[in-house]
Amino acid sequence: MRFGLSRLILLLLVSLISLPGCEQPPVQFVFSKKTNELMPEAAKPVKEALLKQFGNPFALNQFEDLPTDFGDIQGTVKSVETTEKDQPLIHFQVTGLENTYHKLQGLPLEWTSGKGQGQVSRIKSYDYETSTVTIEKSAEIAPQPGETFLVECVRLQQGRDLYNRHCMHCHGMSGEGTGPTSRYLNPPPRDFRLGIYKYTSTKQTSKAQEADLSRTVKDGIAGTYMPSFKLLTDDEVSAIVNYVVWLSIRGEIEKKLDDELFLDYSKEQLSERTSEQGGETKEEVLEELKEFMELDFPDTLEFATSSVAEAWEEANLEDAIVIPETPRVPDTPESRERGRKLYLSDKTKCATCHGPQGRGNGTATHDFWTNPATNQKYPNRGLHDIWGNQLSPRDLHRGIYRGGRRPIDSYRRLFAGIKGTPMPAFGGSLSSQELWDLVNYVMSLPYDGNR
Amino acid sequence: MGKGWCLFFLFWPVAAVASCAMAPFVNWSFPYNNAQAASNLGIRIDGLFYLILVITALVFIGTQAILVYALWRSANNRDKRAMQIHGNHKLELIWTIIPGLILLFLSIYQMNIWADFRIQKYFPEAAVKAPLAEVTGRQFEWRFRYPAIGKKLQQKPQSDDLHSVNELHVPFGKPVLIQLRSDDVQHSFFLPALRVKQDALPGLQIPVWFEANKPGIYDLVCAELCGWGHYKMKAHVIVESESDYQKYLKNLTQQQFYDGLGKIASQEASVESEATEK
Amino acid sequence: MSVLNPSPTGLQPILNPQVHHGPGNFITKYIFSTDHKIIAIQFLFTTLLMMIVGGALALAVRWQLAFPWESMPIIGPWLFAAEGGQISPEFYTMLFTMHATVMIFLVIIPILAGTFGNFLIPLMIGADDMAFPKLNMLSYWFMWPAIACFGLSFTFAGGPAAGWTSYPILADLAQAAPGSGTAQTFWLFGVTFIGFSSMMGSINYMTTIINMRAPGMTFFRLPMTIWGLFITAILQAFALPVLTAGGFMQVSDRLLGTCFFYPSGLVINNAAATVGGGQALLWQHLFWFYSHPAVYIMLLPVMGMVSDMLSCMCRKPLFGYKPMVISMSAIASLGFIVWGHHMYTSGMNPAVGMAFMVATMLIALPSAVKTFNWTATIWGGKVQFNTVTLNCIAFLSMFVVGGLSGIFMAAVPVDVYFHDTYFIVAHFHYVLFGATLFGVFAAIQFWFPKMFGRMMNEKLGKTHFVLTFIGANGTFFPMHFLGMQGMPRRYADPYLHGYLEHLVPMNQFMTVCAIVMGFAQILLFINIFYSMFFGPKAGRNPWNATTLEWAAPSPPGHGNFDFIPMIYHGPNEYAVENGDKDFLMQNEKECLPPDKKHDSDTEKTESSD
Repeated sequence: MRFGLSRLILLLLVSLISLPGCEQPPVQFVFSKKTNELMPEAAKPVKEALLKQFGNPFALNQFEDLPTDFGDIQGTVKSVETTEKDQPLIHFQVTGLENTYHKLQGLPLEWTSGKGQGQVSRIKSYDYETSTVTIEKSAEIAPQPGETFLVECVRLQQGRDLYNRHCMHCHGMSGEGTGPTSRYLNPPPRDFRLGIYKYTSTKQTSKAQEADLSRTVKDGIAGTYMPSFKLLTDDEVSAIVNYVVWLSIRGEIEKKLDDELFLDYSKEQLSERTSEQGGETKEEVLEELKEFMELDFPDTLEFATSSVAEAWEEANLEDAIVIPETPRVPDTPESRERGRKLYLSDKTKCATCHGPQGRGNGTATHDFWTNPATNQKYPNRGLHDIWGNQLSPRDLHRGIYRGGRRPIDSYRRLFAGIKGTPMPAFGGSLSSQELWDLVNYVMSLPYDGNR
Repeated sequence: MGKGWCLFFLFWPVAAVASCAMAPFVNWSFPYNNAQAASNLGIRIDGLFYLILVITALVFIGTQAILVYALWRSANNRDKRAMQIHGNHKLELIWTIIPGLILLFLSIYQMNIWADFRIQKYFPEAAVKAPLAEVTGRQFEWRFRYPAIGKKLQQKPQSDDLHSVNELHVPFGKPVLIQLRSDDVQHSFFLPALRVKQDALPGLQIPVWFEANKPGIYDLVCAELCGWGHYKMKAHVIVESESDYQKYLKNLTQQQFYDGLGKIASQEASVESEATEK
Repeated sequence: MSVLNPSPTGLQPILNPQVHHGPGNFITKYIFSTDHKIIAIQFLFTTLLMMIVGGALALAVRWQLAFPWESMPIIGPWLFAAEGGQISPEFYTMLFTMHATVMIFLVIIPILAGTFGNFLIPLMIGADDMAFPKLNMLSYWFMWPAIACFGLSFTFAGGPAAGWTSYPILADLAQAAPGSGTAQTFWLFGVTFIGFSSMMGSINYMTTIINMRAPGMTFFRLPMTIWGLFITAILQAFALPVLTAGGFMQVSDRLLGTCFFYPSGLVINNAAATVGGGQALLWQHLFWFYSHPAVYIMLLPVMGMVSDMLSCMCRKPLFGYKPMVISMSAIASLGFIVWGHHMYTSGMNPAVGMAFMVATMLIALPSAVKTFNWTATIWGGKVQFNTVTLNCIAFLSMFVVGGLSGIFMAAVPVDVYFHDTYFIVAHFHYVLFGATLFGVFAAIQFWFPKMFGRMMNEKLGKTHFVLTFIGANGTFFPMHFLGMQGMPRRYADPYLHGYLEHLVPMNQFMTVCAIVMGFAQILLFINIFYSMFFGPKAGRNPWNATTLEWAAPSPPGHGNFDFIPMIYHGPNEYAVENGDKDFLMQNEKECLPPDKKHDSDTEKTESSD
């Protein structure tokens, strides 16, 4: 047997062609644990609603009622390429998209004129150089030159691409905080789906402002693996924050729907209701669920969406920000002494968690606390945050301020607490001067010589 | 057949030399489109580089040419036997001594540049007297600590120090010194435009001096593997006039001690500024 | 056997070829063999297998650099399905760490010392086996625990991620990087095991070469291959213990809580502050004290082999045998005092850096001398352009590039710029792939007939060569440009930085060339495995070479020679008038007159002359 050159080339080609996995595997947004614990018939409408309103990471959907900047762009069909009858795709050239973000693959395209008006196609691919859009052929849609359309979610997609490049490997595809790198990090990356952000400039009951999130992205969080992303331009940061808030909104809507349904229709509840004591049959439960879905669920969904959207819109208003009533009390030894007394007082009970000297070793770190969500005690001693992670009170001598090292940042931590953690809000109980005294004391600790 | 192979072995050195020759014109040479190094020391380093490049290019062309020619002659060798020769003492001496001298010359020529760069005795006094900032590499960002305006940088952090992340401002036209340290693992302070590099070792504080001779915004990257975020440690070094630099420090002071009321003087046209309050 | 004349060196062959019995069953003959030839072939197969692993890892690295964050073929859907196939940054750090580890410790060092050292040393010096055959067998079998340890390290937290240089503090403390937990510990064990394997080999080689040479085989009649392997063995013996010590110190830091390599007060990943007291720089000194000689360990055997192969293929004696030997010795000895050139920017005392710089400049000199000698060997020769020759010339040509780029890095101020950029990567790939690996390809093709009694296919060999050569140059030459542009090493996504954004097309070109190069190796494997069973049978001396191994049968039986070898002169006697031949084998006493014909193949020396 001899080896001719032709056989070799063939062999090489075969190996090259058989490279599997060149296609991107399909990815979906994950659903929360609670959703997955609902009985399937209850979970299905929830999942469908979320899919309709949000789509999947590479097939985004635009839902008008959200405060997100979707960034839809209008375009016009210039010319349509002729295709064979049995070809599944249509290609057409467009104008109006030259100056936009040019990765439009997977976006919804809503027709605003012509035969297919009101229909939504999905862009299969977009060639920026030739301005050619490719969509799947369908009976209702036959693009003609001159017809207009709206490409939706362009800005959102830009945010998504930036997020996937910079954030996803820690924060996860759905913002759920379980990206591949996340398991090695202490503290673990934020799960955005609760819509709660720790280091904000807003009041205790308000959500985070966009400016807060931008600051976090740009400055990072000192002492954690959230780095500073000064490498991004302001526009890029804004696109990322836009996308992250959108992920939060999705998570919050899901949670609200889950909360409505969980009490009656979780898998556990189902087995209890259909057991001996419950006395109901599965059909009865399903019948009840069906009624709920037809009569109440649309309202529930609408309420969930609008309440979440409103909360986010309100957070960006000026009056949501915490602004001290008085300027900072001068940072004198007297002020620090007052602060120290306040720190140790019963009014604030700072020492219970942060320890009498501020080393983060207060007695609270030895107690067993109760999880407010489940009403059961945590398995280990010490404090936990709302995401379920163990949390140590800050060692105030280290000089690391995760929310920012400006005096106003410390003031805001004290005034509004740190959302999602046991750090309480003292805005109601302490006056502005008292808060400043505390700030002066706390911020002097790293330099008092007792590191 | 043999001749074909000789041409094959000629082709690739020719391609190599051609691509090197065209490199400066297609942005394959020094960064920022073959811009001159933005520091005086960098210019000297580049000079040394070009000297070595000329020498090695000549050696490369010469060696490859002789190799191909030797192959060509051998391929065409119609003699019954090859040359029966075991060596030539004189030739060995020549091609030992001459390269040896060249290498020795290169060694001695560059000692000055290195000494000026890293031997503390030769650091410019002005820079040593007033260190600019402490630069800390940590996973995965660069943190800078300037002394308060009018004060000298202390080794221990002071309560009025000015802190910044991923953005180092440097006045141009005068030598500056930074104290380089690391919070966790090894990093490396690499300024490609200025040809400055120094590893940051935890446990050590290493003084690094440089003099930027051109205003501009330059990339600062990490050049020692420090973990999964090694590639993300992007910072900017902004070289500006002395007055702009002082303005920056003032602005930083105001921002750092902002108490939520009153206004902060807005920063002029800085590309990546910290998000300011509404 | 009959009485032997005392040889000029006073050496007698220690072992009589008839006395040894052959080994017993299949297991002791082919699996747990103590025969150096079988062990060599075992090393060959194992290292070729490891080469596939190392090459695959390299292709993954190149994919990420060419198509950052796009779905990686095969690996993406398998390991990162939830992320749409996009690999994570710590996975990337594992990729380049293990690529280097596998290639250096499991491919290059074992294939040079293990395969060729084992196979050629007894045959070329006229011994019937190694001095310590059982130790030899152990040296092979210690590769497998090493492979197991490295393999296991992949399964813990994604694999070691601190680079093959394993610098503390990143490698030292589990909290510093994901792979610095159990994975790194297994990595260290793997390096220790492979170190044992190398050490056993090196002791064996030194002893064999010093003590078991055939009568007449003085040191300056040894073939260059043996000189290369001998000096390499000495390098291994002196340098490796330092790495092993450093490795133990790092293991003890990780498992026993010592603090050799990290100072106190470090808080990483919000773990407890370190107790400390050590210095990270210490590891660098210990590591590079071994790893610099290691690069010469990876180069010297090939230099020796190429000398012999070139001489044979040009039908001309090696030009300057003694200077070549002296150069190799100079490279090896200077190699011990240049390790600091890996540490110019590390925070080491700059004055010490100056000293290392002078030594590093000097070490370029013997390499240059050798290059000139090889070229002079070709000059005036009668070159046969077969696969062996082509690979040897590629060695020469690419070694020149690797060596010259080294001069830039030897100059300390220039190295300040180039350290940890792609310029360094270009340099060492040119010397390791361009020089060493091409030399290995040549050596495989050259000594294959002796190992397996069959010739490898020339057409496949030449095609493999052309594709590999083009692929290698296309992949590694542009790295010089990347380095000049200041593109740092070990970056998963260099294009985050504005000044590097325009380098994507170049990286894509390099990736395509790398894929071509990678798949071209399939040809090599086909050539080896097909020819092993179906290649044309080879006689004793298909290349008409002069060194002693070509006087033994192909493949040699147990005991190697079917006569007692006696050596009469140096190893590269070509271009002589020897009857109808133009070469004189080492065990041939003198040339026959021009009209006399030789008995081919079955020729043995007369021991009674």
